[in-house]
Amino acid sequence: MAKNLSGDLTVASANRLADGAVVFLDDKGCWTRHLESAALARDKQGAEILLARAKAESFPVVDPFLVAVTEDGQGALEPVSLREKIRVSGLTFAAIAAEAVRYA
Amino acid sequence: MPDTHFYHYDDFDRTLVAERVEQFRDQVRRRLAGELTEEQFKPLRLTNGLYLQLHAYMLRIAIPYGTLSTRQLRQLAAIARKYDKGYGHFTTRQNLQLNWIKLEDAPDAVAMLAEVDMHSIQTSGNVVRNTTADHFAGAAADEIEDPRVWCEIVRQWSTLHPEFSFLPRKFKIAITGSPNDRAAVRIHDVGLRLWRNPQGETGFEVIVGGGLGRTPMIGKTVREFLPKDEMLAYLEAVLRVYNRYGRRDNLFKARIKILVHEIGIEKMREEVEAEYAASKDGALKLDPQTIEAIARQFAPPPLPHRPAIAGEVERLKLEEPDFALWLKSNTAPHKMAGYRVVTASLKPAGAPPGDASSVQMEGVADVADAYSQSEVRVSHEQNLVLPHVAVEDLPAVYRALGRLGFAEANVGKITDIIACPGLDYCALANARSIPVAQRISNHFANLAQQHDIGDLKIKISGCINACGHHHVGHIGILGVDKNGVELYQISLGGDVDFGRTALGDIIGPAVGADRIVEAVDALVRTYLDRRDAGERFVDTYRRLGVEPFKESVYAAV
Amino acid sequence: MPLYREGSLQPVADTGPAPLPLADWLKAPTQAVALANTDQPDELSTHLGRLKLIVLAFPKFTDGRAYSQARLLRGRLGYRGELRATGAVLRDQLPFLLRCGFDSFDSDQAGFGVALARARTLFSVVYQGAADNRATVALLRLRRHHQPATLAAD
Repeated sequence: MAKNLSGDLTVASANRLADGAVVFLDDKGCWTRHLESAALARDKQGAEILLARAKAESFPVVDPFLVAVTEDGQGALEPVSLREKIRVSGLTFAAIAAEAVRYA
Repeated sequence: MPDTHFYHYDDFDRTLVAERVEQFRDQVRRRLAGELTEEQFKPLRLTNGLYLQLHAYMLRIAIPYGTLSTRQLRQLAAIARKYDKGYGHFTTRQNLQLNWIKLEDAPDAVAMLAEVDMHSIQTSGNVVRNTTADHFAGAAADEIEDPRVWCEIVRQWSTLHPEFSFLPRKFKIAITGSPNDRAAVRIHDVGLRLWRNPQGETGFEVIVGGGLGRTPMIGKTVREFLPKDEMLAYLEAVLRVYNRYGRRDNLFKARIKILVHEIGIEKMREEVEAEYAASKDGALKLDPQTIEAIARQFAPPPLPHRPAIAGEVERLKLEEPDFALWLKSNTAPHKMAGYRVVTASLKPAGAPPGDASSVQMEGVADVADAYSQSEVRVSHEQNLVLPHVAVEDLPAVYRALGRLGFAEANVGKITDIIACPGLDYCALANARSIPVAQRISNHFANLAQQHDIGDLKIKISGCINACGHHHVGHIGILGVDKNGVELYQISLGGDVDFGRTALGDIIGPAVGADRIVEAVDALVRTYLDRRDAGERFVDTYRRLGVEPFKESVYAAV
Repeated sequence: MPLYREGSLQPVADTGPAPLPLADWLKAPTQAVALANTDQPDELSTHLGRLKLIVLAFPKFTDGRAYSQARLLRGRLGYRGELRATGAVLRDQLPFLLRCGFDSFDSDQAGFGVALARARTLFSVVYQGAADNRATVALLRLRRHHQPATLAAD
């Protein structure tokens, strides 16, 4: 797990079994695509509980794990590591558009 | 079935693939219903080509010996459109990867593959993978014999092999039929090189234990000359020795190259030859009729005589300098005068290397239908090849490919970059490779400059698994992660061409993502300043050694 | 651990002799031996005729060494007694296990008996020769080539 610069903020993430989509565990124990709805653990103990909960709810997903996040002034969450940033926001370049005859 | 000039399935092949689809469909159903755990399911989905990547599942579709009919290429386009985001990536092992597949759609996607005699069987997992060949096979002027015949024989022998479906690790075989090894046989677990001995017989040199990744090694010859009809018996011996004695205690030491390294090639040869001797001339000896029935299907298409020189080509060469450059870099000699082998460059300036949209795939199929006997090849440099284009048709092909953005005159040049998917897609990666490739490509976009620089192969891997083959790049770039920062380690002097296999030398500390273009630019400038007449980049490097290059890179970054 | 054999959907009773580990068996060969997947099948050769049961091990289902042991026992060594798979033995490996010559299985996986009953028919064509002596596709093609009128596609 990447070092978390602003404390021990973590969310639980996984890939959804049926379609591989990146999802996060929310407060209700359901898996959501929206990082902003993710259940947030604020310390190590909370993180352990969160991970245990994620594993207990892991039927619809594959291999849940913890992701270190930062929280800005408005409460918006962002993953710390580049890998997790990419998992959340997608490709860092423009893939060819659907039905495009040529790239750009 | 339209007249293809390579192996086409009979009812036996079709039945097997169809039954495999149904087996997989049932396994997916059981997984989604919770009857299989992920641990139990993972090898099953891997041996059907389905990886779980960062954002979605990825389906790796086998393109045996990199050869496709246009009908097959159109179906790939349709699958990408229906079950993916309308594009795919052609890989360094001549496969096609679709990056956004859903598990629940995967059985239907592979059923669509089966409709055109294609599959995704054993493109992942600890099994014998897609056997790759020379992408100019059957067309190249320097060919001794078409290796694809043997790739097909290996494909059938290895598919659902009951003894070798749980190997210590993956197993990759490559076959070349030409002294100019375009299949990179010395960096495969087993490489087979067809050659003619002084007695005039054609047989295989068998090379074992090559591979890139964490511990790159060049394969060693275990058998100088093997009669062709003994190929399967010998392969079975190699695989049995590997299955029994390959390491299973450490994922990173489980390839056959480690076994060869640890016991030595002499001991390896002893074990293999003993195993082979015990089964030689038995059931695995290939019947001449079996070989013939397959070889016949690879007979080259009857190409009508076309003139070796075409007026329009000569005229266009003078009128359009880019066309002249394209002829030089993107076309290669064909066995038959009057024809050329054309490479469609999937490396337009600034584009993700090796990707093609569904529309582009269909566009290439159109060109191949009109001008290349309805046949397309996938090179292991992430480009497509039109193997039989008449010289007279080159202008039309140039225009048609140009409309797709696939006529950049850069094959073999600095912007013909090989890059793995990297951290944008892959769960194993440490760093991104595609944006690096894009930036280098944009920086060197000028065609005249590229041709002046000449042959220069840049290969980029996003992690030590080396799917971008960086170890054998003239310039190799390896992405590493240091405290969450992407850095790139540069190596020089790697090669897999002209029968020469060499691993690159790391030049020094890794370079930041924001300086990698400057670093490559410094390398090129050093080469241009110091080269002798006729020297390629890699030749100058070999003559001068690393110091001048190292100096200029670290002065620039 | 339930024991399965073909011909029965339910587990069967294990009434045979308890297998000895190889080292012990070599000292006093009985009718049943259990090999570790690192043992050499060759070592059984002098007393092979005595054996009614050989047990081979899959410490993990992904560890495929016992498939090669099975091939050597059924093939080169000509063993015809019972060949049992033990350890991590799962339904989806049954087509391979059967082809390599296993005929009994220790497994606690749900649905194993039903899967065993179906396993030989999952694939009606096979490319490779193996211990089950099924005709390979290559052989069927040669036969078809020589007698096109008489052989219908299988």
